[in-house]
Amino acid sequence: MRGSKLLKAPLRLTGEYRRPDADTLVREVRTPYAETTTLHAGEATIERAGQSPRKFSLSRAPELAGLQNSFGALLGGDHASLETHYVLQADGTRQRWQLTMTPKDAALASKLKSIVLFGRGAELRCIQTQPVGSGDAQRTLLAGAAQEAAKATDAAALAALCEGAPAR
Amino acid sequence: MSDSPAKSPAMSGTRRLALALLWLVLLAVLALFIAPRVQLSGDLRKFMPAPQTPAQKLLIDELGEGPGSRLLLVALSGESPETLAAQSQALRERLLATRVGVDVPFKLVANGADVGLDAIPQRLRPYRYLLSPTLDTQRFDAAFLRSELDARVQDLGSPAAAMIEPLLPSDPTLETLKLAQAWQPANAPQRLHGVWFDRAGREALLAIETHAAGFDPEGQQAAVDAIHAAFDAVRANSKTKLTLTGPGAFSVEIGGRTAREASLIGTIDSFVFVLLLWVAYRSWKAPLLGGLPLVSAGLVGLGAVALAFDGVHGITVAFGFTLIGVVQDYPIHLFSHQRAGVSPWASARALWPTLGTGVASTCIAYATFLVSGVDGLQQLAVFTVVGLATAALATRFLLPALIDPSPHDAADSKWLARCWNALARWPRMNAAGACVVAAIAVAVIVFVPGAFWQNDLARLTPVPPAALARDTQLRGELGAPDVRYIIALQAKDTEHALQLSERLMTALDDLRAQGVVGGFDLAARYLPSAETQRARQAKLPSDNELRSALREAMAGGAFNDDAFDDFARDVATARKATPLVPADLAGTPLAASTEGLLLQREGHATALVALSGMQDPAAVAHIAQVHGAQLLDLKQASESLVAEYRERVLWALALASVLLAAAVWFALRSPRRVLRVLAPMALTTLLILAVLRGFGVELNLFHLVSLILAAGLGLDYALFFDHAGDDRAEQLRTLHAVIVCSLTTLLVFALLATSSIPVLRAIGGTVALGVAFNFVLALLIVRAPVKAVA
Repeated sequence: MRGSKLLKAPLRLTGEYRRPDADTLVREVRTPYAETTTLHAGEATIERAGQSPRKFSLSRAPELAGLQNSFGALLGGDHASLETHYVLQADGTRQRWQLTMTPKDAALASKLKSIVLFGRGAELRCIQTQPVGSGDAQRTLLAGAAQEAAKATDAAALAALCEGAPAR
Repeated sequence: MSDSPAKSPAMSGTRRLALALLWLVLLAVLALFIAPRVQLSGDLRKFMPAPQTPAQKLLIDELGEGPGSRLLLVALSGESPETLAAQSQALRERLLATRVGVDVPFKLVANGADVGLDAIPQRLRPYRYLLSPTLDTQRFDAAFLRSELDARVQDLGSPAAAMIEPLLPSDPTLETLKLAQAWQPANAPQRLHGVWFDRAGREALLAIETHAAGFDPEGQQAAVDAIHAAFDAVRANSKTKLTLTGPGAFSVEIGGRTAREASLIGTIDSFVFVLLLWVAYRSWKAPLLGGLPLVSAGLVGLGAVALAFDGVHGITVAFGFTLIGVVQDYPIHLFSHQRAGVSPWASARALWPTLGTGVASTCIAYATFLVSGVDGLQQLAVFTVVGLATAALATRFLLPALIDPSPHDAADSKWLARCWNALARWPRMNAAGACVVAAIAVAVIVFVPGAFWQNDLARLTPVPPAALARDTQLRGELGAPDVRYIIALQAKDTEHALQLSERLMTALDDLRAQGVVGGFDLAARYLPSAETQRARQAKLPSDNELRSALREAMAGGAFNDDAFDDFARDVATARKATPLVPADLAGTPLAASTEGLLLQREGHATALVALSGMQDPAAVAHIAQVHGAQLLDLKQASESLVAEYRERVLWALALASVLLAAAVWFALRSPRRVLRVLAPMALTTLLILAVLRGFGVELNLFHLVSLILAAGLGLDYALFFDHAGDDRAEQLRTLHAVIVCSLTTLLVFALLATSSIPVLRAIGGTVALGVAFNFVLALLIVRAPVKAVA
């Protein structure tokens, strides 16, 4: 989900995240259009059909930088690595938990307020990225939540879904 | 020591010492007076003749400030890429904030970090429509805008959203990003963690452009020091290593090495000089008194140069002191000829015709540099002539007051007598013998294969091969401009230079596509000509056209209706804007990119095209010519300058030898004596050349100037042997003096000859050979047969 004050309605994209190797994260969008983003060594490469790839530095896209190193550490179960980049705070119950990660790095913290992970049991269901300032929170729904999101209609419902409420 | 009374009233030893100290004090006062007036300049261009060809003019007048020579290449290695990237960023920030006094030493510090958006100050942002080539092929109509907006929706859904979203309201076609991308170096290295890395991903790379010209060793030194200081602060406790290459870094390193070696050799020399004089004259005062004329010569010579020229060249001082080192011979002659029963004044008077002839002839030889038309050589001439004259006059008119009137007589020395007896058995060389030696020497000079002259200036200050290889590697990784080839385009003003550049740029793009050049950089890449800007302006839609096209494009789309009001406003501003000219860029990062490549002079402008990865100079030269520009080979230009320079020095040398012979003729007035005095010197010059050629040494300017020094020494030796006549005691004293002189000189220059710096080696080798040959030949040719052996 991506909201912007320029847009009439938040964008809703579906696709998948892949980790072909420990240092690489691939974000593949399938609908409503095809786009592949490869995150590797601090750089993002965006490829779309019929266009030459665009490269930019992750330092310019903090939400993604946060996603990459937290994703890597989360999937790898690397608690220590997470803690080098973020202050971690866990809340909730085992059935409905949330982990708030606040960046330690000053440059990242100036753009990214926090990343909140929501989950149920062993399932990570949603990643909510909160930028500094007035920008909208960006949500990535995963696993069961992503399937339920197909049924959600408006932004409020999606936000609730992300935070762990059952689909309405 | 002899205790026989001197004829003239001798001053007491204490009084003499007090006078010597007074002299020293006066010299110190003189030094204090001169020091603030001497402004050492390191500008090598002062040692070059006036440029003639366009390439030479460019090399001398402009390229000292050109982009290639001011570029320093930096590699950080030894830590993880993340750490290196952070350090690269920190280093860049520190360097950009560095001040040396009030000066900003760095014009550009590039490490690959995105600076594109900040490169355009807010007031210039609407100009993006005049700077970007989009309008050359595209109109801002509904169809184009719709396809752009569709792409922007995808951008907002992509990870690049945070970067792009703030730009969108005013720039939905992302011209800002297109410009930022176009301004990146043509073949930039790969970027990891936000900064440039080498292909292996192990070294973070930076390209730094200094404000100081490549010809300005002090400015380069300040820049290199600032880089090291910033790196030390950034490195902290990490294991990161810094590699710094580029013309400036090399000149600083070699300058430092030369200074270190020269000062080490200088220290050893002073020590040897003191020791030799102490031993030779068995008095600790001899070195002190012997040094006074030398120091006076240096100071007065320096003062004269400071008065006559603005800015004393560093090379004048270094080389000049080497050349006036011969003045230490003058007091030695006086010491060796002083004996009990003769007043020092009488000794000095007796020596004067000989000493004076030698000094005057050498001065005349150096004075020929005044007609060379080269500022540095003229300075050298003034320095040596004034220095030699000062030392000679001081030895004649001041030193006799200070020396011990009744020292040990050199003629009484037993070992000297034995030495002399041995030498007396040497055969004397006659005219035929001299001709044979000369013929052999000439044959060696002519027939030994190999280049006679060394034209490559770089060989004089050689960069260690490992450092050079590293430089080549970094240059390749960074796509940094070649220091050898550059295209120059002349026009009557910057606008015309930019128009011509734009046409050339299209042709160069083709060459790059064919792989003839790896990349190129020119001012028109950043700033199109006003003509081009006006053409783009004419293609911008009117406000009404744009708003209706935008409405049509946005209909039924994802964007809010008022999302792009800022865009319409910026386009309206761009339509009315006066095209940008170079002066408008002042104070922006773009100025740094353009001003080194677009040079403005009174009624004239030069656009430079920096080239990298040159594969086929002939093809590039052809394309340049077709577009009214010229491919310059700076290496060839510098070599032709050196050749021209050498021609001037050779003419000066020819003139010098004629004048020298005339001076000796004037003093001696006997053809036989003149020939005898000049023969050792002339033969020595041939022999030095033969030996150097025989060992495969290519000759450079320093060899040539050193030949004059060697000739001057030889003339002195020959004149003194000639002066001694057939009196045995006088011959012994002369032999003593010449042995001490030649030993000190030989040691000094033999040490220089072992230096690792080619310039010092050239001077040292030439003069050391000259001393040895001159000494032997003076003995063989000039020495008169002893009338009666005691």
